[in-house]
Amino acid sequence: MAGIELLSDQGYRLDGRKATELRKVQARMGVFGQADGSAYLEQGNTKVLAVVYGPHEVRGARSKILYDRAVINCQYSMATFSTAERKRRPHGDRKSSEMSLHLKQTFEAAVLTQLYPRSQIDIYVKILQADGGNYSACVNAATLAVIDAGIPMRDYVCACTAGFVDDTPLADLCHAEESGGGTSLAVALLPRGGQIALLQMDARLHQDHLDTLMEAAMTACKGVSKVLDEVVRQHLQEMSILTGE
Amino acid sequence: MLKSKTFVKKTRSGGILKVVREHYLRDDIWCGSEVCVECKDESPVLEKDPCMESSMCTFPHYLIPDTNVVLHQIDVLEDPLIRNVIILQTVLQEVRHRSAPAYKRIKDAIHNKEKHFYTFTNEHHRETFIEREPGESANDRNDRAIRAAAHWYSKHIPDSAEIKVVMLTNDRLNKEKAEQTGLLVYRCDEYIKSLIANPELVDRLALTSDEKNEITSSKILFPEHLPLSQIQSGIKSGKYIQGTFRANRDNFLEGTVFVHGEGDESTEILLQGLQKLNRAVHQDVVAVELLPQEDWVAPSAVVLQDDGSKGEDEEEEEEEEEKKLQTKQVHRDSLKPTGRVVGIIKRNWRPYCGMLTLSHIKESTRHLFTPADRRIPRIRIETRQAATLEGQRIMVAIDGWPKNSRYPRGHFMKNLGSAGDKETETEVLLLEHDVPHLPFSQNVLSFLPSMPWAITEDDMNRREDLRHLCVCSVDPPGCTDIDDALHCRELENGNLEVGVHIADVSHFIRPGNAMDQEAASRGTTVYLCGKRIDMVPELLSSNLCSLRSNVERLAFSCIWEMNDNAEILNTRFTKSVINSKASLTYAEAQMKIDDRNMNDDITKNLRGLNKLAKILKAGRIEKGALTLSSPEVRFHIDSETHDPIDLQTKELQETNSMVEEFMLLANISVAQKIYDEFSECALLRKHPSPPPSNYDILHKAIKTKNLVIHTDSAKELADSLNQADIEGFPYFNTLLRILATRCMMQAVYFCSGLDSDFRHYGLATPIYTHFTSPIRRYSDIIVHRLLAVAIGADSTYPALMDKHKQAALCNNLNYRHKMAQYAQRASVAFHTQLFFKSRGILNEEGFILFVRKNAIIVLIPKFGLEGTVFFENKDKPSPKMTFNEEVPTLTVEGHTFNLFDRVRVTISLDASNIQHQKIRMSLLEPVIPGVSVPLPEAEPEAKKAKLDR
Amino acid sequence: MATVQVSEAEKLYVLHGVRDDLRVDGRGCEDYRHVEVETDVVSNTDGSAKVSLGHTNVLVGVKAEIGKPKPMVPDEGYLEFFVDCSANATPEFEGRGGEGLGIELSNTLVKVFSNKHCLDLKSLCISPGENCWVLYVDVLLLQCDGNLFDAISMAIKAALFNTKIPKVHICEDEDGGKEIELSDDPYDCVRVNVENIPCIVTLCKIGHRHVVDATLQEKACSVASLLISVTHTGMVTCVRKVGGGSLDPESIFEMTETGKRVGKALHAPLMELLQKEESLGSKRQKVGFLG
Repeated sequence: MAGIELLSDQGYRLDGRKATELRKVQARMGVFGQADGSAYLEQGNTKVLAVVYGPHEVRGARSKILYDRAVINCQYSMATFSTAERKRRPHGDRKSSEMSLHLKQTFEAAVLTQLYPRSQIDIYVKILQADGGNYSACVNAATLAVIDAGIPMRDYVCACTAGFVDDTPLADLCHAEESGGGTSLAVALLPRGGQIALLQMDARLHQDHLDTLMEAAMTACKGVSKVLDEVVRQHLQEMSILTGE
Repeated sequence: MLKSKTFVKKTRSGGILKVVREHYLRDDIWCGSEVCVECKDESPVLEKDPCMESSMCTFPHYLIPDTNVVLHQIDVLEDPLIRNVIILQTVLQEVRHRSAPAYKRIKDAIHNKEKHFYTFTNEHHRETFIEREPGESANDRNDRAIRAAAHWYSKHIPDSAEIKVVMLTNDRLNKEKAEQTGLLVYRCDEYIKSLIANPELVDRLALTSDEKNEITSSKILFPEHLPLSQIQSGIKSGKYIQGTFRANRDNFLEGTVFVHGEGDESTEILLQGLQKLNRAVHQDVVAVELLPQEDWVAPSAVVLQDDGSKGEDEEEEEEEEEKKLQTKQVHRDSLKPTGRVVGIIKRNWRPYCGMLTLSHIKESTRHLFTPADRRIPRIRIETRQAATLEGQRIMVAIDGWPKNSRYPRGHFMKNLGSAGDKETETEVLLLEHDVPHLPFSQNVLSFLPSMPWAITEDDMNRREDLRHLCVCSVDPPGCTDIDDALHCRELENGNLEVGVHIADVSHFIRPGNAMDQEAASRGTTVYLCGKRIDMVPELLSSNLCSLRSNVERLAFSCIWEMNDNAEILNTRFTKSVINSKASLTYAEAQMKIDDRNMNDDITKNLRGLNKLAKILKAGRIEKGALTLSSPEVRFHIDSETHDPIDLQTKELQETNSMVEEFMLLANISVAQKIYDEFSECALLRKHPSPPPSNYDILHKAIKTKNLVIHTDSAKELADSLNQADIEGFPYFNTLLRILATRCMMQAVYFCSGLDSDFRHYGLATPIYTHFTSPIRRYSDIIVHRLLAVAIGADSTYPALMDKHKQAALCNNLNYRHKMAQYAQRASVAFHTQLFFKSRGILNEEGFILFVRKNAIIVLIPKFGLEGTVFFENKDKPSPKMTFNEEVPTLTVEGHTFNLFDRVRVTISLDASNIQHQKIRMSLLEPVIPGVSVPLPEAEPEAKKAKLDR
Repeated sequence: MATVQVSEAEKLYVLHGVRDDLRVDGRGCEDYRHVEVETDVVSNTDGSAKVSLGHTNVLVGVKAEIGKPKPMVPDEGYLEFFVDCSANATPEFEGRGGEGLGIELSNTLVKVFSNKHCLDLKSLCISPGENCWVLYVDVLLLQCDGNLFDAISMAIKAALFNTKIPKVHICEDEDGGKEIELSDDPYDCVRVNVENIPCIVTLCKIGHRHVVDATLQEKACSVASLLISVTHTGMVTCVRKVGGGSLDPESIFEMTETGKRVGKALHAPLMELLQKEESLGSKRQKVGFLG
C-alpha cells in the first residue's frame, strides 16, 4: 500500500484530473523560420519541438532512395536537461533509437509518401521537458510540423497513452503515473478512419482488459485530435490575416 | 473539457532532483451537503439536518477536524455518535503519510454510510487551493489550507440552511488564526465534553500535550530522550546501538534490547532500573548507549511484579527495590553488557487489554490500568466511569510518557466485558495476539457478489464443466468452510484420473479491492475453541466458496493421470465447475471404506483414493518425510452453555492421511508449475533444516534410554524415530516425536525471486507451496492467482509481479500465522482452565518432557496438556535441588528426575490472579516427603468425568 | 543552416555594403539583430533561458547536482558545459553530425566561463574536498543563423541569473560524519552572482572593416573572425581568433577595441531585462515557444 495513491476514492488523480481527462494540450505551428515546417507542443509538462525538412533530394547513400515514394527519416532526441535526472547524451541510446523507429513507422503510415518519389522527408523531434507520454507528444507535435510543411497526410496522427489503475483505465499518463507501476499502452490513431498507426505496450496485460484500455486510449486520441485541429485552424487564420487575404 | 489552471508544485527529493508536477484546479468539486443548491452533487453525503447535540454548538453543524485530531482522536471519531464530518483531502493525505493504521480507520469511517463522513478534495478546488508562501513551513501551509477550506464552507453553505461549520483543532496557533478570520473553532476535548448524548466519550479522548502539564508533579523522573537526528548520527558513528526493547515478563525493572546483527550475531543488551529503561515500552525500537564495562550487571533472578499495591507516591520504596536488584549480583562472570536507553526511534504502541486498578481516593478520576501482558507497564488513565469499569476487561491506548511521570498516560478506549467471562477472554486473546477480528466493514462487504448468486453463462463458458464427476469432500465434523474436494475415476486406458478441486476464492476476491486488502491483512482464518474468525466474509467462506454437496460451485482443479503405482503421468490445472456428491467427515469416509457392503460410486472413489494415498505416503516416507507429533486436544463443547464438557486428544484416521496426501501432492504440483512460470515472483513455502545444535536436547534425551538417533538428514531422523521404541513403553515414541517437533524450525512463506533455498525439510520435497485452502489462508489466494495466470485463466496485476511487494506480503502472512497459532494455543489454554475449573482437583499420569533448574515439565497424554511442576514454594523453604545440565537430570531431596520418567500429578486451577489464571500441577508420585502433595480426596465429580469416556 | 553558398556577386555586394556601414539587412556594422530573451522556460531545470538572435535560436538549461570538488581546487565547485547541436537546427547535425561543432563550442565555453574571475566558484562549495555543486550548463541549438557564440553567451548569462540552487546545510555530528540536508522550504535557495559573467562578441572581418553579429551570409564573406569575451566593466577576459583566414595584428587591435565597446554596452540592457522579468515573479505570463 505504500507509495503514492494514483487514484483517490473520490476519483481524482494525483494532479487533480479525473480518469478520462487529458492533460492540457497547447501547441503552436511555425515556430522556426528556417525549417520547412515546425511546431511546438505541450502536453501537460511534456514539451516537444518538432521540425520537418523536405521533401528534398535524398542525402547520403543513393541506396536509400525509394523509387516509388519518399523516404521518411526521423530522429528522436531528448534535451539533456529534459528529465529530472540529467541525461548524459541527447540521443543515440537504445531507447531513443527505438523511438525514432516508431516515429518513422507511424509517419510512413500517415504521410502520402507516394507523392514524392525519390525524395526524403526529415522529421526531427526534440523533447525539451519530459513528464510522461513522450512518444505521444512527439507524434502530435510532428503531425503539426508536417502540416506546417505542407506535406499531405491521410489524416492527423494523434497519439495518447492509457494505463490501468484498480481496474480503471486512466488516459494520458503523466510521469508519476507511468512510473507508478502497471501497464501503459501507447496508441497512434488516424482518427477519421479509426485506423491505428502504432500500438505499443510493454507490460503484461490480460487480454480481457485490452479492450477497455484500447477504448480509453482511442477516446483520448480523439480528444487530442480535436485540439490539434483547432490549432491548425487557428494557425491558418492567423496566416491568412498576415498575408492579407 | 478541463476548466483548470495549471499550477506547478515543486518537490525536491533525494539530493537534487527537482520534480515538477502539474496541479489542476477544478470548479466541479462539490461540497457534498444536502442543503446546497449550487453544487450539482447527485448523492450528497452530508445530511441536511445534522444532529449532534452539544451544549456549546446548539445549532446544526458539520465538523472539520484537522490532521492531528484525526490522527490522535480517531477513537472518538469512530463513535457512531459523531456524524457529518468533512474530511479534507489535505488532512487525509497527511494522515496517510503519518500513520497507516489511522488512515485505514478513517477510510473505513468514510466508507461507512451511516457516519456521513465526506471527503472534500480541497487541494484541487479552485477556491480552496493555496500555495505555500515563502518562509512558511509545510505544516503551517497545511493548517492554512484547512482554514481556507473551512472558510470556504462557512461561506458556501447557504445562510438559509442555518448549518454552521465547526473546525476542530488542538493547535493553539491554528485555533487563534482561525478565530481571527471569524471561524467557529473548538479544541477537540472542549467539543467532545460538550456533547450531551454520550458523556462516556470523554474518556476516549487521547491526552494532548497541553493537558499533560497540568496534572503531573514537577519532579523529573526520567532523563530526556535525544532528538531523532542526534540518535541517527549516533547510531551511524557507533556511539548508540539500535535495537528492539523487550521487557522482562517477571521483573518490571529489567529488560533487554535485542540488537539485530548480521547472520547469527544478534546480541542482547541488558537494561536495569527505571532510569536506564527510560520509558521504553515493550517492542519499541530504541537507541541504547552501552555503559562502561565496570558498570555492567548480571540479570537478576528476582521476580518483581509492579502490582497494584503501591500508589504513585511511594517512589522511595521503589528506589529501595532497585537497590536490592543491584546489590544482589555476585558472579563476575555472569555480567552482561549493560546499557541505558537514550532515545526512542519508533514507538510500537498498540491498544492494550487489561484491567483497572482503582485509585484509593474515591472521587478520583485518575486511575491506574494494569495490562494483561506483564511486559507492558501500568498506564495512568482518566475516567469518570471507574466504578462501572471495575472488574471489567478494558482496552487502553497509550498517548505519551512525559519525563516527569512514573507511568505512561493513556486513555480508555473500550470496555470488553467482565473478566473471566468466556466472550470477554476470547476478545482479549484476539486483541493481545493482534488478530484482526472486527466485523467486516461496509466497504469490504460491498465487494461481495449480490445474492442470489448463480453461476453465469459466462462462467460456464470459461470453465471446464466437471459437474458430472463424482466429487466428494472429507473434512472434520462441523466444518462449514470446505476448501477441498476429491475425485478418482478409472480412465479408458486403464489409468486413474485423480482430481483435487479447490474452492475458487480468487474468482470472488479481486486483486486490490477492499475485500482483498482486508483478507491480505488478516492473512488467515483463526480457529479458536468454539469460534472461528474468518479471513473472508461468511457469505464466501461458508456458502459461495465452500464446496458443499449437491450445489454447483466454482473450483480450481488440479487433475492428474496416474497409473496404479501412483506415478503421475500427466498433470493439468483448470478452472472448473463442480457439483460435490457428498460432504463426509473423516469418520464417515472411513466407515464407507471399511464397510464391505457398500459399493456405491462414492465409496469406490474413496477406496481408489485411499489405495493411491497409501502408495504416495510410502513414497514420501521413503524420501525422508518426517512424521512428527504434537499433542492436540479437542473439546467437547456443550451445545447450550458452550462450556467445554470433555477434553480429548485428536484421533487420526486413515482418511485424514488420505486427504492430506492428495493436498500435499496438489501443493507440490502447483508449486512447481508457478515456479516454472514465474521464477521471480512465485509465492512458495519452505521449511529450513534446523541447525545441528537444535537437536542437542533430543540427543541428550535419547542417551538416557541408551538409544541413538541420527539427525544428519531428514531421512535419517525419520528412520531413527521409526526404530526408537522401548518395550512396555508405547508412549515413548510419541514423546520422542513431540521432542523432535520442538527442534524444528518454523516453516515460512517466501518469494522465489528473493531466496535460493526452497527445500521443505519436514515434507522432504524440493519445492512446496500452499494451494489447497484459499478460504482460510491468503497465501493460497495469491498462489491461485499465479496459477490462474500461468494457465491463462486470469490476468496479472502489478503487485503480483513485484517481488518486493510480495516479500512484504509474505512477512505479514508469516506474522499472522504465528500470531494465529499463539492465539489458538491461548484459546486452548483458556478452555483447559475452564474445563479444570469445573472438575476440581484431578489426579493424572504424565511423563517428564523437560527438566529445569527448579521444576519439571510434565505432559499429560490424556489431555495433551503440558504443565510445570515447581519445587519451590513461596511459603515453604526450598527443598534441596541439584541440577545436572549434561544429562539432564534434577535431583530433589534425593530423588532424581530423568527425562521420560512416569509421574503422577494433581491438576487444579489457580485462580488467585483473575487476569492470569493458570493450571497448577503438583507432584503426587513418586512420593518425596515435603515435596509431593497428598492424594486429594477423590471427588465424585472427577470420577464421573472419567466414567464418561 | 550552418553553411550557405554565396556567389561572387553576392559577396561583392555584401563587401561594398559593409564598407559603407550598411549591411544587407539594413544594420550598421556595430548593430545587433533583434534579440529576445526569456528565462525560466523549462520548469524542471534549476535555471533556463531561451535566446533568439535573428533566426539564431538557443535554449540553455542549468541543472545543479552535488558532486566532488576537483582535487586541485577542493574548495570550489565547477561548471560543466555541453552543447547539443540538434538536428532540429539543421539536418546536417543528424546523428553524430553535430558532435564536432558541439565539442568546439563547449571547449570554448569552458575557457570563457569556468574560471573564478567570472563566477564565485567558492560559493558553490558545500564542504571542502567532499561536496560541491556542479552546474551542468546544457546548451541546445535550435536554429543557426550565425553568431552562435554571442547568442549562447547571452543565454548562459540569463540562465545562470535564473538559476536557483536549493539550499543545503551540512549536519555534522561529533565524530565528523557529515550529511547533506536539503532545506524543506522550496523558496529557500541560493542565487548565482552573474555580475562578472562576460558576454562574447564575435567580430567578422569583411573586407577592410569588421562587423558584429554576422549572419551566416556575412560570415561566408568573411576571412576570419575574432571572438572576445567582455565583462560589464569592459574588461576583456578572452580573445580568440576563429575561422580559416588570417588577420594582421593591427586589425586585431581595432577589432578588440570595437568588441570592448560593443560588449560593454550589451550587458546593461540584458541585466535590465532580466531584473524586470524577475520582479514580475510568478505573475509573469510565460511565453516560451507558444508566443
